[in-house]
Amino acid sequence: MSNWIDVAARDAVPADDVIGVEVAGRDIALYDVEGELYATDNLCTHGRARMCDGFLEGHEIECPLHQGRFDVRDGKALCAPLTENLRCYPVRVEGGRVWLAVE
Amino acid sequence: MDDATRVFPRDPHWRAPDSSRVPFWAYTREDLYREELERFFYKGHWCYIGLEAEVPNPGDFRRSAVGERSVILVRDMDGAINVVENVCSHRGVRFCRERHGNRKDFLCPYHQWNFDLKGNLQGVPFRRGVKQDGKVNGGMPSDFRVEDHGLTKLKVAVRNGVVFASFDHDVEPLEDFLGPVILRYFDRVFDGRGLKVLGYRRQRIPGNWKLMQENIKDPYHPGLLHTWFSTFGLWRADNRSELKMDARHRHAAMISTRGTGGKVAEVVSGVDSFKEHMQLNDPRLLDIVPEPWWGGPTAVMTTVFPSLIIQQQVNSVSMRHIQPNGHGSFDFVWTHFAFDDDDEAMVQRRLIQANLFGPAGFVSADDGEVIEWSQESFEQKPFHRTLLEMGGRDTEDADHMVTETLIRGMYAYWREVMGETA
Repeated sequence: MSNWIDVAARDAVPADDVIGVEVAGRDIALYDVEGELYATDNLCTHGRARMCDGFLEGHEIECPLHQGRFDVRDGKALCAPLTENLRCYPVRVEGGRVWLAVE
Repeated sequence: MDDATRVFPRDPHWRAPDSSRVPFWAYTREDLYREELERFFYKGHWCYIGLEAEVPNPGDFRRSAVGERSVILVRDMDGAINVVENVCSHRGVRFCRERHGNRKDFLCPYHQWNFDLKGNLQGVPFRRGVKQDGKVNGGMPSDFRVEDHGLTKLKVAVRNGVVFASFDHDVEPLEDFLGPVILRYFDRVFDGRGLKVLGYRRQRIPGNWKLMQENIKDPYHPGLLHTWFSTFGLWRADNRSELKMDARHRHAAMISTRGTGGKVAEVVSGVDSFKEHMQLNDPRLLDIVPEPWWGGPTAVMTTVFPSLIIQQQVNSVSMRHIQPNGHGSFDFVWTHFAFDDDDEAMVQRRLIQANLFGPAGFVSADDGEVIEWSQESFEQKPFHRTLLEMGGRDTEDADHMVTETLIRGMYAYWREVMGETA
């Protein structure tokens, strides 16, 4: 049973970039890739760094700490030193707001 | 002033024609010591690192040393054995502090540079800078390549479960380095059987590292210094013995056979003792069982120059690793092991007999002390010299124990490599 939460204004997420938001006590990264929105856990699965401080290239987010890359669409870890995927969350846009489903 | 009359020679050179007298300054000079590290530990030689059995699983690592340099023995995710230097390629931090463990990658705590288990640099924090107010600050120059900044990787050789490494990637193959004679004694212990580590002992001995090699190249002392041996009849100067060296005289095997037929009863009885009335409180220390792989000899002590001694004293087997830390001090690390095919009783036997060895061993405690006492004199009067003339002045193999030929052999090699020739 999903619980949709209003997390940000749509225009708060810059084009082809990433921001961090806090949702129900969780640290979440919101990505805009060519107008499409994606959400993952913000904290890297390897070191202690946030994806929102990283560099988004296409649909790949590069961690600022050790240059691990994840696919923001499915959270898949793409290269070393990563061994664990990022958790993803369903996103939808309604009424100019971004909604996120947690649990 | 004439150098010949000085206690502290200004221009010391080894002027003697042979290697039967070693100048005290060979153990005390800091410049020579650094040259030894350079020529023996860091170039042209294989140094002992550890046993494969110490890192059985992917991600297992154990800290070791080559000379003074800290290295890490690690099994990577592909199952391969690597040895990398424990020095971060960024600011030189000796980042690995644990003696052993299991991890997916190495992380330097200072700036969190991250390396894979083969030593490749994986990630550099803020390599592309830090985003702030719409701009990116700092970051590494655009021509920075992670490929160029991995950890220093050593050349590795693994033979039957024993890991050696060298900073010198042009070093000759391990088998050539050991030579056919010593290789035979190496393979006698390590014939491909699985090994099981029983435990470690560590001690810091305040003496020059060469004294440890000398100690195990010296069959003259055991029956005299180690009264434990003579009290309980475990060593006699007339044991049937052989002393063998590689062609360059740097490595050696000290081979001895107790009694006449290698039978247990003859091994532990019927020998002269200074204190015949004394008895062991725990007779299990003398519970010796001959093993087929011995092929006759009851003890073979193998010195692999510069860093390793392979010990087989009846049922006690161990690696002794020499890790120098200055001209007058070295760490001595003992790895006691058993074989996978040992039964429980044999493992117990090996453990009990291991009480003869290590820093507080009934026998080995003596060696640490006399090495310290030698070093004390060397520091006091470096112009003087030791005398190594038991059994002659040559460097030939021998079929008895009453000789210092192996030490003379080692110094013949030392002089050749160090350029200390007459």
